[in-house]
Amino acid sequence: MSSFSRSAQQWATFARSWFLIDARMQPPGKIASVCSVRLQGKHKPIYHPLSDIGDHVVVMNTRHIAFSGNKWEQKVYSSHTGYPGSFKQLTAAQMHKKDPTAIIKLAVYGMLPKNLTRRTMMQRLHLFPDDVLPDDILRNLTEELPQPREIPRKLSEYTQEERDAFPMLWTPCTFLDGCFAGPHTADIQSDL
Amino acid sequence: MTRMWRHVAGVSALLCSKSGFTGSVIMVFLTLSRWIRNRGPDRYWKVQELLKSARHFRGRKNRCYSLAVRAVRRAFVYASKARKTKRHSMRQLWIQRIAAASREQHMKYPALIHNLLKCSVQLNRRALCDLCISEPRSFKALAALACARRTEGFRAALGDGSHPPGVFSRITQPITAQHG
Repeated sequence: MSSFSRSAQQWATFARSWFLIDARMQPPGKIASVCSVRLQGKHKPIYHPLSDIGDHVVVMNTRHIAFSGNKWEQKVYSSHTGYPGSFKQLTAAQMHKKDPTAIIKLAVYGMLPKNLTRRTMMQRLHLFPDDVLPDDILRNLTEELPQPREIPRKLSEYTQEERDAFPMLWTPCTFLDGCFAGPHTADIQSDL
Repeated sequence: MTRMWRHVAGVSALLCSKSGFTGSVIMVFLTLSRWIRNRGPDRYWKVQELLKSARHFRGRKNRCYSLAVRAVRRAFVYASKARKTKRHSMRQLWIQRIAAASREQHMKYPALIHNLLKCSVQLNRRALCDLCISEPRSFKALAALACARRTEGFRAALGDGSHPPGVFSRITQPITAQHG
């Protein structure tokens, strides 16, 4: 960095980067908070609210986000156009079915500062429901951000060695062996 | 102001009746000349001094005295109040910048500040902000120092007594020797 010329150093400091996030199996709120930090430019030491130094963020696989708890049925997105009788309430599941990018878009919109720069920052957010990205965006990408949530593996994804190496407190009774039969009950009675 | 009155003969009956005097006299204010008040010779300059603070305002406030007086007073009040908020907002900006730079170094702002304080590094937020913008490697070294101070307890309990490379500390002997 110290070997750069002044103009090259300035370009490197103030250039707008393009970040990529994969939202598969991620909570949309965490994705949105990471996006909002990058869109505002708060990840840069040269941050200033008036400077317009936010970066572009591309989010892919928004169709495969994962709400925790029962939010798919319980979280409600409300809207009112101002005309009488136009109060609409949609659950997260309905909203997601209608538009797979809407949940993350609304989440990021709510996390950005509520001023005139918000719309500009939203224009720098690019959402794609699947991992198919257009060429011009693919060419611009500079960095991929790590996913905020570590995706837990299914039991079938663990190898047998890992399963054996896992510390067990007690040996569970597998009912598939038909342990309701006589010898097992005889053992319990003898213990008692 | 003393009033000098003089009774004048040869009165007009109309004047008497209008003024309500029943007598045959009329009063003349000989001090009329004194009633022309000279309010001060330098009004023009006082007005100009006020208007010069209003020249960059919008509308008639930048030209007309009575409108400018109110606008200039408000402007001065806002300026007085803003001196305190300027200090507040500058500190806020420093903290945001230091937080961004420390997150680049895989640390969080409260951890950085607390551990630098524990190391008795008395750099204030303004100095840290200037360092993180213009001296990134110095800031990286400070972040490494804070990280080392933060994990000092863990390393003493769990580690093998070795120090993290590149960090000077007051502990000159291995930690195990102290416990031993």
